[in-house]
Amino acid sequence: MIRYFLNIIKGIISLCEGLGVTLKHVFRKPITLQYPEQKPDLALRFRGRLVMPLDSEKNDNRCTACMMCAKVCPNASIMEIEKVVEDGKPKPKAKKYIYNLGTCIFCNLCVEVCPFAAIVMSDDFATADYNKDNLIIDLVAEKYQISGKKANWWKSKFKEEITKEQKVNG
Amino acid sequence: MADIPLQLEKGRETDEYILSMGPQHPSTHGVLRVVLKLDGEVVKDAIPDVGYIHTGIEKLLENRKYDQIIPYTDRTDYLSAVNNNLAYCLAVEKLLGIEVPERAKIIRVILAELNRIMSHLLWYSAYGMDMGALTPIIYAFREREEIIDMMEAMTGGRLTHNALRIGGFKYDLPSDFIPKLKKFISHFNDRVDEYEALLINNVIFTSRTKGIGILKKEIGINYGVTGPSLRGSDVVYDLRKIEPYSGYEKFDFQVCTGKNGDTWDRCIVRMNEMRESLKILTQSIDLLKEGEIMAKVPKIIKPAPGEVYAAVEGPRGEVGVYIVSDGSEKPYRIKLRSPSFSNLSVLKEIVVGYKIADIVAIMGSLDLVIPEIDR
Amino acid sequence: MELIKELLFNTDKKLAEFYLWAKNLWLSFGLHPVFLDIIIQLLVVIAVAAFLVFNALFIIYYDRKVAAKFQVRYGPNRVGYKGILQTVADTIKLLIKEDINPDKVDKVIFVLAPFLVFIPAFMVFLVIPFGKGLIPADLNIGILYVLAITGLSVIGILSAGWASNNKYSLIGGLRSAAQIVSYEIPMVLAILAILILAGSLKMGDIVNAQSSISKWFIFLQPVGFLIFLIAGNAEINRAPFDLPEAESELVSGFITEYSALKFAFFFLAEYTNLFLTSAIATTLFLGGWQGPFLPSFVWFIIKVYLVVTFLMWIRWTFPRIRVDQLMEFSWKYLIPIAFLNLIITAIVVKIV
Repeated sequence: MIRYFLNIIKGIISLCEGLGVTLKHVFRKPITLQYPEQKPDLALRFRGRLVMPLDSEKNDNRCTACMMCAKVCPNASIMEIEKVVEDGKPKPKAKKYIYNLGTCIFCNLCVEVCPFAAIVMSDDFATADYNKDNLIIDLVAEKYQISGKKANWWKSKFKEEITKEQKVNG
Repeated sequence: MADIPLQLEKGRETDEYILSMGPQHPSTHGVLRVVLKLDGEVVKDAIPDVGYIHTGIEKLLENRKYDQIIPYTDRTDYLSAVNNNLAYCLAVEKLLGIEVPERAKIIRVILAELNRIMSHLLWYSAYGMDMGALTPIIYAFREREEIIDMMEAMTGGRLTHNALRIGGFKYDLPSDFIPKLKKFISHFNDRVDEYEALLINNVIFTSRTKGIGILKKEIGINYGVTGPSLRGSDVVYDLRKIEPYSGYEKFDFQVCTGKNGDTWDRCIVRMNEMRESLKILTQSIDLLKEGEIMAKVPKIIKPAPGEVYAAVEGPRGEVGVYIVSDGSEKPYRIKLRSPSFSNLSVLKEIVVGYKIADIVAIMGSLDLVIPEIDR
Repeated sequence: MELIKELLFNTDKKLAEFYLWAKNLWLSFGLHPVFLDIIIQLLVVIAVAAFLVFNALFIIYYDRKVAAKFQVRYGPNRVGYKGILQTVADTIKLLIKEDINPDKVDKVIFVLAPFLVFIPAFMVFLVIPFGKGLIPADLNIGILYVLAITGLSVIGILSAGWASNNKYSLIGGLRSAAQIVSYEIPMVLAILAILILAGSLKMGDIVNAQSSISKWFIFLQPVGFLIFLIAGNAEINRAPFDLPEAESELVSGFITEYSALKFAFFFLAEYTNLFLTSAIATTLFLGGWQGPFLPSFVWFIIKVYLVVTFLMWIRWTFPRIRVDQLMEFSWKYLIPIAFLNLIITAIVVKIV
């Protein structure tokens, strides 16, 4: 008999605690971001779409078509790199760089393995398209201009890579 | 006046019928089909039917090099990607005989524990929605956003982190990681108390989960159940204590267990595990010292022929990776042991005798992730 | 200005004067007075129906905004100023959807079921006092009429579940019928205690018996108020008792096979029922339209929306109850307490 009433009272107390938690939350500010008007604050290392930015000093991309990124890509999303050696320049360059945005898994392995920091994953996440053919992109022809925080991060990366390359080559 | 029969005549007993809790159902947490044999509302038999999302990862991995495999291991148990990465990296490092530097070990522990909290928070929200409570999901996801921001600052991805590399890490912790971690630790304990008060201690919830789906010790051990589902039945089995890996022997934490093995105990085990993970995170900030983060690993990874098995305590149980190598740069066979597969196999034992509404409660408390089962 | 003030505060006198004037005008044309009565009743029905429809539009928006407030997010805020036209957009979407009639359903009952659920909800508003003198028909058996008509919605739910030719819908319909029938009894018992205090079945009399704030029945009958709210919640199939429409177990229960306009009717019926339960709770326990400065109609709306907000608060906090626990809760806990409440009230009234 006593347990009957004790059960009721314990039950009511636990229910009131739950109600109290919900009530506390009425007075907190909403946490949503109103998307098209307010953009999210992405991390520096955010892995968006792959781009080959133009180096502002050389006014050209930094790729030498060494094919390391194509070898390490787990599902061959970097489809074709065409190497060309121009007269009078010691290093080869890439004439065409076909990248398949549809099959890329955004794993960052290609960026990590590139010795010249030629490619980087940008902040671009809104890459949906109506036409599947538009997802196969030629990164050299795109001439992407990188800007913002990501640009500084990228520049710091290629200073590191250049010194590592010099260490390796002597 | 007709005679009132005292019991149904022979041949007029209620029929059993077969209900297929089909592949598309809001509370099977994925594409799982459970064929139920029901007698009215009481369950007589439950047969899981898996394979709807089989992608053939294990065969795919036979054609990839060792360092290309890490993004794939993210995607089996996508709620705690770092634990899967860790199991794989530990296996390959055992095969190559590499010793990972100290700082890398501690950072691995930090990421793994953050992932454990993330996974348990998602279990909490999904379980609340199964029970009919529609607010816990929003609160838990708010905490999850904070953790995901931290993981994104470190690895660059929100769900498929691809965080670890063989031998350590490629990039070190960013400068704003430790302040964010300290801020997270400062308020998370109160939040866990709030979540308990909102859902777990609620009288409606306890009357729906206490005494339901009791898993006995011997049955759990015989079927190979691991993780919080087994610890709810008062079995002290945690791989982080029994065979410590990646520096866990330096941390001081307790293994949470439950007493009776029913659904409520499994819930309490998970809530307590969140608190223990927070303790580990607090200790790890002090243990973090300056140092290297990457061991000396050959450029082309070609381990000697042999086989190795490495296991890790994930949020759902024991995540294992078994590699057979034949001396080339691609593995000969990789087998992934997923905890949800073994946990699901015990479904028939714990569901029989209860009602339809209890099935949802029991399956939710086992915390299954279906892509992990089908791989 | 004076006219407006008179209209707002002394509505019953003004309406009586208007009726006398209209009757004189009608009789001067030489027509039979019964036609005037019919026309006026029709106008009243149209007014109440229009009020209810606009109210339903608002209460759905209010539900979503309140839910968002409890869940630290914004609710709808894109359509119209702060999202106030969201329900209009949803209604238009529901109306232009394809009306799917599954193959082997029982055609007549399938089409009839939404109406059977929706019409009793509207019919009860005949006896609710919206303000001073603003009852469409002050029947002598007010409360009894309310209880009788709310019992009719069971037929609608059962026929919806049966006619859908779907195992899940049938289970949902049966569960709902069991639930509604079990929770009628505590509700009736709680109301009986009120009747002892008020002394008559007429809704107008019950409101007049709570003339000052110390006489409001919520203070004399706190347990009765709680029992009425819980039982009312279960009657209208709302969380934590929303088993018939439990999304995670039965995929929408008895509403599964309905689409477009019929679904809109079920939806409308649920929110109208919510408003109805709160209106009855206000009339019986919170003093109806009584209140100091504002016009009576405004007080009524404020009090009803307070009770509605409380019911929404409960919905967004608690998980769902299992069906056998629901039965156990009603028969083992609510009914004994309601009986105890009734006996104690009777004894106290007799002594005092």
